[in-house]
Order: sequence, then C-alpha cells, then structure tokens
Amino acid sequence: MARSTRTLLVGLAVVGAGILLAALRVNPYVYFAGYVILQYVVIATAWNILGGYAGYVNFGTPAFFALGAYTAVFLIQSTRAPLPVLILAGGLVSGLLGLGIGYLTLRLRGVFFSIATLALSIVLQTMIINWEYVGGSRGLSVIRPSGPPFGSYVTFLFAVMVLLSVVAVTVARFIERSWVGRGLAALRDNEEAAECMGVPTLRLKLFATTVSGVLLGVAGAPFPYYVTFVEPTSAFNLDYAVNALAMPMIGGTTSWVGPVIGAVLLGTAQQLATVTISSEMNLFIVGVVLVAFVVLAPEGIVGLVRRVRGR
Amino acid sequence: MKPQRIRRWALTGGVIGALVLAGLGAPTARAAEPIRIGFGMALTGGLSANGKPALLAVQIWKDDVNKRGGLLGRPVELVYYDDQTNPATVPGIYTKLLDVDKVDLVISGYGTNLIAPLMPIAMERKLTIMGMFGLANNEKYQYPNYFQIQPAGPDPQTSTAIGFFELAAKQTPRPQTVAIVGADAEYPQNALVGARELIKKFGFKTVYDRTYPPSTVDYTPIVRAIKATNADIVFVASYPPDSVGMLRAAHEVGLQPKIFGGGMVGLQFTSVMTSMGPMLNGVVNYDFWAPEPTMLAFPGIKEFLKEYQARAEKAGVDPLGYYLPPYSYALVQVLGQAVEATKSLDQQKLADYLRATEFNTVVGKVKFGKNGEWAKGRTLMVQYQKVHGTGIDQFRGPGKKVVLYPEELKSGAIVYPYSAAKN
Repeated sequence: MARSTRTLLVGLAVVGAGILLAALRVNPYVYFAGYVILQYVVIATAWNILGGYAGYVNFGTPAFFALGAYTAVFLIQSTRAPLPVLILAGGLVSGLLGLGIGYLTLRLRGVFFSIATLALSIVLQTMIINWEYVGGSRGLSVIRPSGPPFGSYVTFLFAVMVLLSVVAVTVARFIERSWVGRGLAALRDNEEAAECMGVPTLRLKLFATTVSGVLLGVAGAPFPYYVTFVEPTSAFNLDYAVNALAMPMIGGTTSWVGPVIGAVLLGTAQQLATVTISSEMNLFIVGVVLVAFVVLAPEGIVGLVRRVRGR
Repeated sequence: MKPQRIRRWALTGGVIGALVLAGLGAPTARAAEPIRIGFGMALTGGLSANGKPALLAVQIWKDDVNKRGGLLGRPVELVYYDDQTNPATVPGIYTKLLDVDKVDLVISGYGTNLIAPLMPIAMERKLTIMGMFGLANNEKYQYPNYFQIQPAGPDPQTSTAIGFFELAAKQTPRPQTVAIVGADAEYPQNALVGARELIKKFGFKTVYDRTYPPSTVDYTPIVRAIKATNADIVFVASYPPDSVGMLRAAHEVGLQPKIFGGGMVGLQFTSVMTSMGPMLNGVVNYDFWAPEPTMLAFPGIKEFLKEYQARAEKAGVDPLGYYLPPYSYALVQVLGQAVEATKSLDQQKLADYLRATEFNTVVGKVKFGKNGEWAKGRTLMVQYQKVHGTGIDQFRGPGKKVVLYPEELKSGAIVYPYSAAKN
C-alpha cells in the first residue's frame, strides 16, 4: 500500500513538474523537442508491454500509432471533438485492433507474428490512402483550436504528453509487478510450460496486446495537432517501428525503466542530431547503438547496471 | 547522505543546470551582424534528389548577394536543417530556427507536404513565408503573407493539364477520345481532378479513367488496357518511378495515341532523361524550365546555370539543374529584392511589398496574386524531339525539349501525331 502511494506521489510530482515547465514558458523549442521525446516514451513503454514482457515482437507500431492519429483526424473532421475525447477514442480504436491482433497469437508465434504485424501496417496504410474523408493519399491540414492553455498549443500538448507518459509508465510498472507481469514472463520463456502450470496464456496475451494497442493509439491521437498536417507516409513511418523496438532494447526490456531510459537517450540523441549533423547520421546512430547493445549488453542499460551492481 | 547518493544528486543537478544554461545562453549567442535566413530542406528521403539542388541554388544566391555587399549592407547567412522529407520534423525544425537560432527570415522546404506543417507556425507568428513548389497549400488557410514560386497560377488543379489539352484541341485532325490514368497519391490525384474538368471544357470523350496503387511494378497490364480503348489522347499523372514504368510499358506494348504525356513527374530530371533517351521522343509533358532560347532570355539565368553546373558536379547533385533550381534561386531573389526595396526586415512590410510588386527574376517576371500563387499560371508544355542515345550533353542545348505552350514562350512546333515523333 505504502509502495503504491509512493508511486502515485512520484507520478503526480512528474506531472506537476511538467505543468510547471509548461507554465514557465521557456524557449518554445524545448516543448517541441520535448513533445517528440515524450511521445517516444509512451510508444516505447507501450511496445515493451507486448514485446518485452510477453516476448511478442511487434513491427506494426506505425499501424497502431497512425490508427490513433487517424481516429483523431476523423473526429476533428466530423465533430471537432476536444483533445481528451480524441485521446480516449484513439486509444479505444487502437485497443480494439490490439485485441484482434491478440487472437492472431493463437496461430502465429515468433517471427511469423512479427511478419503479420508488419503486414498489418501496410494493409492499414492502403486503406487510409483510399479513404478520401481523412485526406487519402493527399494528406489533410488540421487547424488547431484557438486560445489554448499556456499560450501556445504545442506547450499545451507538451503538458498533455507528460501526463500520458506518466500514465503509460505507471500502467507498465503495475503490470510488471503484478501477477499479470509474472504470467507474461512465464509465457515469454515457455508458452507451453506456462499453460501447463495453469497460466491463462490466451487471456494474458489478449490483455497485453490490448493494453499495448491502447497506449500506442493514445500516443498517436495528439499527433495531428502537433504536425497540423497528416498524410499516410509520415503517419505510418517505419521510424516508429524501428524506434519502438530500439528504445526498449537499449534501455532494457525486462523492466519499466528500460524503455523510458532508451526513449529519453535515443529520442534526445535523434533530436540533437536533426539540428546539428545530417540525418543520414541520425539513422546510422540508431543502427550502431542498437547493434552495439544487442552484442555487448543484450539486457540493455538496466541489465548493464544490474550486472555492475551485482559484482 | 551516502556519498553515492550525493554524487547521483550532483550529477542530476549538473545535467539540469547545463540544460537551463543552454536554454538561457542561446539568445545571447545571437550575432547582431548577418541577416540569417532559415529553412528545412529534404536532404535525405524521397525528395532529396530535388532538395539538394534546391539548397545549392539558394547557396549560390547567398554567395552572389554577399559578393555584392550583402543585403542592407549586412552579409547573408543561411541556417538550414534536413527535414528528411518527413512533415513530422517540420514543426521542430522551424521552432528551432525561430527561437534558438533567431533567424530573421524563413523560407519553406521543397514540396507541398513539407510546406503544409509550416503554415500554422507562420500564421501564429505572423511571418512572411516563401513557399518552394507547393500545390494549393494556402487554399484552406488563405493566409495573406504566403508567397509561392511554382508557376502553377491561381488555379493549381488544372495548371498541369491545361496546356496539354489546349494543344490537343488545336491539332488537326482533332482528337476525340481521352484516356486518363494516374497514381493513388497526392499530386496525381490533384492533376486528374483538373484533367477531368478540362476534358469537359474542351468536349472530349473519356474512354478510360483509372488509378493505380503507387507500389505498382508492372505497368504493361495498365497500358494494354489503355491501348484496347484506342484513345486519341493519353494523359498520365505519375510520380518518377511510375513515369518511367509507364513510358517503358508504352514502348513494349506499342501504344500509339495521337498525343501522349501530360503530367508525368520525373521525365524532367536529368537522371531520368539520360536513362530513357530516345524513348522520350514525342512525349508532350509539363515542365517548368527548358534550355530553349525563349527561356534563356531572362536576365541572370545564364550566369546562374553556369555557376550551378560547375558547382553541381562537385556537390554530386543534378548536373543540369533545369527543373527546380532556377525557381529556388528566383524565390530568394524575390525575397532579397523585397528586403532591399523596403530597407527592412519587418515581416508585414515585406509581405505588403511582395503582394504589390512585380519582380524581375531569373525565371522571368513574377507577380503574386490570389493565395500567394503566381497571378497568372505559366506551366510549360514541352515535347521531347530528336533525342538520340542517352548522352547528357545533348540536353544542355535547345531543340530536345521544345516549348509548345504557352504561346509567348513557344520555341518550336509540335510533331503530331505522337507516332511521327517517336523514332
């Protein structure tokens, strides 16, 4: 009890700090860059619930992210719904897709599951390309609501993203420490053995894919208001798939801190690289760091720290 | 506290302190002297083959201006970042330019999708913004301080096709039936909408109207279907990979319409011209610039191209630079002229001047009109003629890409029908 209270307090403190930072109105660039990094914290955390805890590698991150974004676009187009509604709806729709993908795991495992999720992304992108109402292949400009809190809409989005990251990380931490997390760990190591021991593998997998889907959709929902122009190629960008996988790998997949560390490190490095060196280097950095970690520290930074401490 | 914990806190404090200092320190690093122009540009990703030449053109302008003593007596400096052809990077890049680098003026990156996310930023801060080759970016916003250099004119949707169908309508015997085809993507869809409007206007009969997915690899079934309709006019709206695919398939299948081409992006690029060679003969296609005497008459263009071609070789970008670079140069030329004339960097004064003035540039006289587009469209229709082999040097001079439209820039006669020019 005391432990969960402390978690709650830490979470609230982070949200408070985020709001304070937003209210301070420092250099606006901080909010723009911060938004992208926090968005990756949510994405990496969400990916890790399925990929890290349950061991089902999902290459379809762009599908879930873009579905969240396009749900928001649809609602903006049809009803001009407020941001909280967009986020909830984005999470709901992506969560349903996650549930559907969960049933796929009945028949598909390992690399076959990964290929199926990759295909999912392409199928969804083709559907969006042919759906004129949300911009189709041409893309759609989204006009932000006027009079946002903190004076600027992106500052407001930054504060919202702080909140969403805290929620995502709290959910991940809760799953990890509960019987659900232990069950997922068991099925990651050996699904048949886990089933024999009485772990409800299908229910747990459905739970993991759904929660992961919800969080990815939630990360995508504010995206239209951030870029103000949504088109399929950038919404379904493969970068999201690569980063969602690379960030937890670098941070460490077994613990909730792993994706956060990975997202903050890699996200910040990418933001800095974009405005300092050329971006060809940008992708190169991700590649080199990923290979280095897989070879030298397969359990990520968290594993590395644990090993050093254990000595 | 344990020493370990103290060290950890000191480290965290140090990092936060450094970040705060970096944030505070940025404005003081601002140099008072040079005029800084900021932009994002596609230096990697899908549009980089055009983004790099565009950057080179802007750099040449900067050097030209600085050789003459700069703007308002101050040297010009460029601050640019790679947008990776990804619209999602644009908000971050321009905020960095405006709030950290403190640039005085901004221009857009290359292409419609990279201009779109810049519009709200420009409007929020009331900036004067120059757009580089965007199609109808301002139609939704109608922002008065946006100016766009692609000569599409006030009606961007029909601008690609108008010359093509006007030419077709003038030929004898007059063609009757039309086949239109294009990719499921942003530009081709726009061009097809315009084409349908023009077909109605000129009273042609549509016998084929289909689109194909951008990932298509084999174009022969599409071309066979078009051939089966026996259409007199074949209008294609395509991006570079499919332009090449369609043209190859047309030759394989032996497509023989009376007039062929229209809105094929990519045929203008040097790399495509030198790989397609004689297959281009007879194609009537849109273009923005060709080394014809009528286009070389504009002041400064020859000097610009000489400089560009010398530097392009070293930079490893498009060696001829006939499509986008003259317009990229003209874009900053216009902005520079506005700064000189108003003797100011005030965004509103610049916009007022840009709206009211006719500019003399390397691509001719530029006057902005509705939505910041050219007051009068000037998309060229050219026909490839007498292309032999795949050598690059033949494309340097006139006669290979003859300008047929508009009338005032016409440099030769159309070879009609298509089959007569084919070989």
